[in-house]
Amino acid sequence: MFYEAFQSAINDVDGSIDPKEIKEAWIGSLKTGGAQLGNLAPLLIEQVGLAGMPACSIENACSSSAYAFRYAYMAIKSGICDITLAGGVEKMNDLPRERNRYWLGVSGDVEWERLAGTNFPGVYAMMALRYMHEHGMKRERLAEVAVKNHKNGARNPDAQFRSEISLERALRAPMLAYPLTVFDSCPITDGAAVAILCRGDLASKYTDTPIRVIGSGAASDYLAIHDRKDLTTVAAAQKAADEAYKQAGVKPKEVDLAEVHDCFTIAEIMAYENCGFAGKGKGGELIKNGETEIGGKIPVNAGGGLKSKGHPIGATGVSQIYEVVKQLKGEAREKTRQVKGAEIGLTHSVGGSGGSACVHIFRR
Amino acid sequence: MTSYVSIPQYSNTIDQRYRLIAKKCKSCEIINFPPRQTCLECGSADFQNVKLSGRGRIYTFTIIGRGGAPTEFDDLQNMTGEYAVAIIELEEGPKVVAQLTDCHSNPNEIKIGMEVKAVIRRLYEQERIIRYGYKFKPIADG
Ligand SMILES: [Zn+2]
Repeated sequence: MFYEAFQSAINDVDGSIDPKEIKEAWIGSLKTGGAQLGNLAPLLIEQVGLAGMPACSIENACSSSAYAFRYAYMAIKSGICDITLAGGVEKMNDLPRERNRYWLGVSGDVEWERLAGTNFPGVYAMMALRYMHEHGMKRERLAEVAVKNHKNGARNPDAQFRSEISLERALRAPMLAYPLTVFDSCPITDGAAVAILCRGDLASKYTDTPIRVIGSGAASDYLAIHDRKDLTTVAAAQKAADEAYKQAGVKPKEVDLAEVHDCFTIAEIMAYENCGFAGKGKGGELIKNGETEIGGKIPVNAGGGLKSKGHPIGATGVSQIYEVVKQLKGEAREKTRQVKGAEIGLTHSVGGSGGSACVHIFRR
Repeated sequence: MTSYVSIPQYSNTIDQRYRLIAKKCKSCEIINFPPRQTCLECGSADFQNVKLSGRGRIYTFTIIGRGGAPTEFDDLQNMTGEYAVAIIELEEGPKVVAQLTDCHSNPNEIKIGMEVKAVIRRLYEQERIIRYGYKFKPIADG
């Protein structure tokens, strides 16, 4: 799987690149299979034929490969490397159900949160209910996020679920953790993603349409949700976005499209606010008015999001970057998904229930 | 498969789990619970123990659907099916995550703001030792 993603990244370079030109790699994974817990990155790099190259595994829950990308970017910025690789991989489908339930719960606070009996959907469900309570948002808004992301994913050849769902069906689906149904949640996914980064002044050697990283922000927060003052926002994502915007020198209204971390539908609503597309408590209005649809004011998750494209935990961060880069190059797979004339794109990645977050801004 | 909190590690938190002993910050006076290395508010590491009343209000909650619980709670779900988990805002200030007990796991019967109090119940079993700790029950129910 990682080999396939690697080959596809190499082939996707407009010019040509010798894989040996890559100087170092960072690879995100939660290692949910548990088959290779230590030293995963050297194994993967060896398997793509680059044994000997420095390679490092990054684990920051669901934001693992967003962080891998950040370090690959920083290595170039520091002047140490000219070309680096950021990737991610997760294999979840061949695990028995109870092992998946085990792995999925280890990215929040274990001692006082998980061992009180709550699971991941439960944590986001409690955030959703508090959000609805404080901001008077209706459950329909959550379901609308799922409907939109399925609609986009249905047209993405890389998506796991390629079927549309109706609002009615999303609302009537079985409860996973009240008020969230199975359609408010992302699926269990196998996947891999690879990005190749290059120093800005060398990029013209490989492509005529380089996409530049103009902002990279990251932040952390209290791991346990009971230690957070406000449960209706993801403070780490807010900080990461603020930092990325500051570096990029752009304003939220200048962003043409965003891929955000919709592990649960409520997370996308909060992401609208953390990325500055909506004011606090107003995220629901954005989806209600269709502003985040393709063709709307700020298309969000044109690739289908985690919801429909799938959420292979360690690979998700780079897979969001892949979608944004393709969109900015005007090469979205399946033309009906192309956001026309997009110049500035944003990726928003959240680890666990908000313990870590990483935001990148790109410009064509 | 279970996430592992060893018996000694669990025993170290018996004061919190059975008796709700919290850490009051000597510098800013806020109450930290569950205990932390440094104060949530000011970062100080200087605390004194205080006992919490165990009374509080539901800040938010959820109902964990059938078959979705963390694996440690499989036995519980086999017996009771879905169950309610809440964040409780204790009257002394801190928030805790805990199961609700002695009430129906029905979203129409549980309300944000509802008064609850702590009771000691069986949480889960690991290494053949039953782990007990606090759950919360509605005060109106007695
Ligand atoms: Zn303090």
